[in-house]
Amino acid sequence: MTERGGFEGLDSCVHCGFCLQACPTFLATGDEADSPRGRIELMRALEAGELAPNDPGVALHLDRCLGCRGCEPVCPSGVSYGRGLEASRALLAERRGTPPLVRAALAALTGTGGDMRATRLVYALARALRATGVPGKLAGWGRLRFAFGMLAATAPKDGGRRWRSVEVGGGRPRANLHRLPPPSMTSPVLLFRGCVMQGLFPHVHAATVRTLEVNGYAVRDAPGQVCCGALHAHAGLRGEARRLARANVAAFGAGGDADDAPPLIVVNSAGCGAMLKEYGHLLHDESDGVGQRFAARVRDVTELLAERGPRPGAPIDATVAYDPPCHLLHAQRIAAPPEQVLRAIPVLRVISTPDAAQCCGSAGLFTLVEPEMSRAVLQPKLASLAQARPQMIVTGNPGCVMQIGAGLAAAGSPIAVRHPVELLDESYRAAGYYA
Amino acid sequence: MSLVDRVRALLGDDAVDVAATHDGVPRVAPASPDAVALLLGTAREEGWHVRIEGAGSWLPTDAPVDLALTTRRLDHVPAIEPQDLAATVEAGIGCDLLRQQLADRGTWLALDPPGLAGRSLGSVVATATAGPLRQGFGSVRDHLLGVTFVTGDGRLVQSGGRVMKNVAGYDLTKLAAGGFGAFGVIVLVHLRLRALPRADQTLVLEGSREELAQVSEDIAAAAVQPAAHELMSPALARRERWLLAVRFAGSAALVSAEETALRAATGGGGRFTPLRADEAHALWMRAAESFATRPVTFRIGGLPDSSDELLDLLQHQVGDEWISASPGVGAIRWGGETTVDRLRRLRRSLAGLEVPLTLERASWPVRAAVGHFGAYREGVGPLVAGLRRTFDPAEAFVVAVEGAE
Amino acid sequence: MTRDGRSLIAALAGIVGARHVRTALPERITYARDGLPTHRRVPGVVVLPGSRDEVIAIVRLLAALGVPFVPRGAGTGLSGGALADADAVLVVLTRLNRILRIDPRNHLAVVEPGVVNVRLSAAAAPDGLLYSPDPSSQTACTIGGNVAENAGGPHCLKYGVTATHVLALEVVLADGQVVELGSLSGEPWGPDLVGLFVGSEGNFGIATRITVRLLPIPRAVRTLLADFAALRTAGEAVSAVIASGIVPAALEMMDQSCIRAVEDSVYAAGYPRDAAAVLLLELDGAQESAVAADAETIAGILHAHGARSVTVAADAKQRERLWQGRKKAFGAMGRLSRDLVVQDAVVPRSALPDVLETIARIAGAYGLTVSNVFHAGDGNLHPNISFDGRVPGLKARVDEASGEIMAACIAAGGTITGEHGVGLDKLRYMPLLFDGDALAAMRAVRRVFDPEERVNPGKVVPVHACREWVGSVNAERGTRNARADVRSDFRVPTSALET
Repeated sequence: MTERGGFEGLDSCVHCGFCLQACPTFLATGDEADSPRGRIELMRALEAGELAPNDPGVALHLDRCLGCRGCEPVCPSGVSYGRGLEASRALLAERRGTPPLVRAALAALTGTGGDMRATRLVYALARALRATGVPGKLAGWGRLRFAFGMLAATAPKDGGRRWRSVEVGGGRPRANLHRLPPPSMTSPVLLFRGCVMQGLFPHVHAATVRTLEVNGYAVRDAPGQVCCGALHAHAGLRGEARRLARANVAAFGAGGDADDAPPLIVVNSAGCGAMLKEYGHLLHDESDGVGQRFAARVRDVTELLAERGPRPGAPIDATVAYDPPCHLLHAQRIAAPPEQVLRAIPVLRVISTPDAAQCCGSAGLFTLVEPEMSRAVLQPKLASLAQARPQMIVTGNPGCVMQIGAGLAAAGSPIAVRHPVELLDESYRAAGYYA
Repeated sequence: MSLVDRVRALLGDDAVDVAATHDGVPRVAPASPDAVALLLGTAREEGWHVRIEGAGSWLPTDAPVDLALTTRRLDHVPAIEPQDLAATVEAGIGCDLLRQQLADRGTWLALDPPGLAGRSLGSVVATATAGPLRQGFGSVRDHLLGVTFVTGDGRLVQSGGRVMKNVAGYDLTKLAAGGFGAFGVIVLVHLRLRALPRADQTLVLEGSREELAQVSEDIAAAAVQPAAHELMSPALARRERWLLAVRFAGSAALVSAEETALRAATGGGGRFTPLRADEAHALWMRAAESFATRPVTFRIGGLPDSSDELLDLLQHQVGDEWISASPGVGAIRWGGETTVDRLRRLRRSLAGLEVPLTLERASWPVRAAVGHFGAYREGVGPLVAGLRRTFDPAEAFVVAVEGAE
Repeated sequence: MTRDGRSLIAALAGIVGARHVRTALPERITYARDGLPTHRRVPGVVVLPGSRDEVIAIVRLLAALGVPFVPRGAGTGLSGGALADADAVLVVLTRLNRILRIDPRNHLAVVEPGVVNVRLSAAAAPDGLLYSPDPSSQTACTIGGNVAENAGGPHCLKYGVTATHVLALEVVLADGQVVELGSLSGEPWGPDLVGLFVGSEGNFGIATRITVRLLPIPRAVRTLLADFAALRTAGEAVSAVIASGIVPAALEMMDQSCIRAVEDSVYAAGYPRDAAAVLLLELDGAQESAVAADAETIAGILHAHGARSVTVAADAKQRERLWQGRKKAFGAMGRLSRDLVVQDAVVPRSALPDVLETIARIAGAYGLTVSNVFHAGDGNLHPNISFDGRVPGLKARVDEASGEIMAACIAAGGTITGEHGVGLDKLRYMPLLFDGDALAAMRAVRRVFDPEERVNPGKVVPVHACREWVGSVNAERGTRNARADVRSDFRVPTSALET
């Protein structure tokens, strides 16, 4: 860790307020204490010891921060808000402990505490429940019913049902058949599996592997990998996060011993990707910059695909709204690659709602622990989606898929939410790449 | 000591002119802002009532007072700064003289107020009488960078300054502009200027009011941006029918492009007739001067889309012989002969439409009865009264602000 | 805390709901500063009304209790104008953010005070209209705040400051009375109280409804970037452009220090890093050919006056980039040092070259870094002094240098603020500009609207410098701005736990 644990990232704030309108919670309450500038004021006072970490007036507003980092890309002086926030949350966690709900959620979803068997059971039960179709029917606005909606939103969708593949130029889709590149021309990459992605979105992993292979990547597994630690870091559990980070560094190999550069690490969850790219900061004090070197190898799946084009697939006649996840757009500053991926699908119309870049309110465990604010943040997005009326929403983060999906279900909308590689996968399948 | 002797002792023999006023009120012409302050300080001590006069060509000089204060000797021009497009001018200078001096330095005050050419600048500011150029260049206040005025108890108050932007302290300039002298005598004005336009073209179209209203709408809908866009009644324009006069001012490229756009927006061809420079000058000058010869003049502030309705209302209630309207901004100026009762009724009708009527010129009995502004909306009266008490505690200035309603 | 304080909080909660009353110290601390962080005052209570009726009820309650209050928008002001002391209530208007009406035919809009400036233009764009005043903080600041400060912005060179665009106001006075000022047409309906209210820095009451004029979006636009090897040459080029008679929509200047801060930020606009200064000019209008011709003339003038190069934005995207760099420059100053003082003075445009040199000399004498980013076409300077407040004695040196810069601007025929307002920060300069009578007149006017001087107390007029005014109270003296004697027993809790 750096000497001041991340608080130094706040030094360049000159209080201009240009972040206010980029903050979903400020837009929801209009309260300076719920704005990035106001929270920076709280964090500075925390660091200086003017305010105590157990002061409820501090905790309320820092807890209510989504951590979406939408304030960072609009900041002219380059304040590292996210780092300051994690440093502050670490102070808070140290002083007041971690709330039981957060503990329980972390244990169930990420296996923190070491019991991966229990976690695997949780996901297996969830998948079984999902398969009954009951959660989708129960989806609604209440706390439990919203959770059902979230679970329902993770289900693999039957792609052919909502639209039809169209033939362009009269040819059959199969006419596009391309041979896979020979193994000598492929680049090896290691897939980061994560917890929620592995537990509820295995179909997205499968699509990731297939679409990468079509574009000349050989996807391999990295045994021994664990949770990225994002949820822990957000909850102020820095020690846990560092422990997980070290485990991942070991599992994916620090590399650098041979002539060959170690393989890139591909991740398809924006939240995990943002965390993995922060390992340099998180493991700042570890020997010879292992964190830094690990972080430099991490790529979002859309980055890798965009680098190769990606290859065009078969047309899909549909209108989709792309909703960039905060941890992709703001934290990783990845804007163009996902759109490039979608553009590889002929005929597909990609629209963007005016507030697309704004957080959906998912924010990891936020949707569970701050349901009221989370829903308030979601509302404007649902309203603008209702106006734009896409046939589907595309976003590259499990939390966003679940949050927006649950919101749509609660609002009675039939629109589905999917990961961009799922669409590309479907397009490739229709194009006969997998034949 | 008589009032005249007192003032002579104060300001010198040549400051007082006893014979010149028709109503026997001594007319005092202080030669500097400080002299104005000295005079009004004394007026407060003595309890004299004062009316403010400029050149005496706009508002009738008939308010019943003990002395008339004219600004006509405050006619210096301390500064014209062509490279800053700003000027500092004493308020008593005639508009015609000022215009000439500005033109000599390549600059222009984009105001064409009604009245005679020699009308004092101070009276234009005090009554906020903008003319047709308000379409392109805004109302009187938009040309002011600051003013200095003397309060009813003889204090010199400066407000604003000679720079383009200024938010130091409250904007008392706004109070002086259009305050009809109720808050003080304007002695010095800082003006925002423009470069003298390289090209200045007026085009006219004659027709029925209805036809011309349609053409006006077409102009507003198209991206034509005239400096003036004025609908004049036949008497005012000295034509057979109503006249729509459109004026463009600026660079040669701008004026020719605007003229092309005007023709395109209004059905092309030669509907509009361009005027020669001398014809245009005569048209605008005559229209402005006509209002100084009518017994009563007022302005109303409507909206562009209510212009026609308001013209109908005027026609119905007070006649429409002398009218100059800017349909693009909704402002209408009316001149003519009418009665106190009609004015009051009209003002009531307009108030129902949320449209203010400001009485600009009339004889004292009409002003006293109707007031420049009439009754205020709820809660505004005490504010105006409080401001008047602040700036004129002894009620030295005789101004019919509210009227007797 | 006192019983009165507790009952005040309860009464406020009764009006707006407990969740919209902020009493905990941490929460109040977040409201202790505005966009000029060198001033810090922690308000007693913060209340966030959600409607006009709630504002009226709050003001009436505070009037009945004799409690001072301060209206606040987004807190992006640059003069410490929206800060409240511990015995005052901060009335935050961000939740009053509805656009009530857009009238495309008559080119006007009616908004609540908390509407963010740029959102009004966005809402009017489908009708081909825009709200012209564009302060650099327009993505964050509120129109209510713009009205209070009479905000400017780059494009007011051609189109005028906020006062030019405000037609009518609904105002809640200090005593809770609601008055309607102005008319939809802009004809004042009596003396021009709208004009008087705009720029009164919250001293005359709270505007709850604001009617503004909208302008057509110009059909033709040219944005030019000219770079110069010397600051003085750039200043002279400004005068040459103004003297040409062509009125640019905007004419902005940035010096090297500012250029580099922007180029290091996410708003990097492609300004040449090696330039001593750049001018950013915009020409606009309804007629393409005329704007093109003007742009050519201006480019010629710039070349003739020492521009190393003049480039024209190729498309709307590049234009937006050039402007974003300029508008976020103030925020980018955070890159230079952790503390920043931004000044705001106006000088006659022909004095710019000399004044810029004087400022550089003063900064040099005090060993300080000054960056200039400003509205050159209006002569409206914004010298930014970057410093590290942790260095002992440095802040005092910054204050001294600021004072000298202000004195130099006044000596050049200028004023101490063109658009940021007096607030707390410029109180000390007011007597340099106005004599005792002018200051006393201002105070007397304020007391017409607010006899107890309870709304935003202690701002704008340095009471100790006022001459006695008939009907006004005795002059008060003191280093801190004296305030009217408002009786208020109300004290606030230091923590939410106390309530």
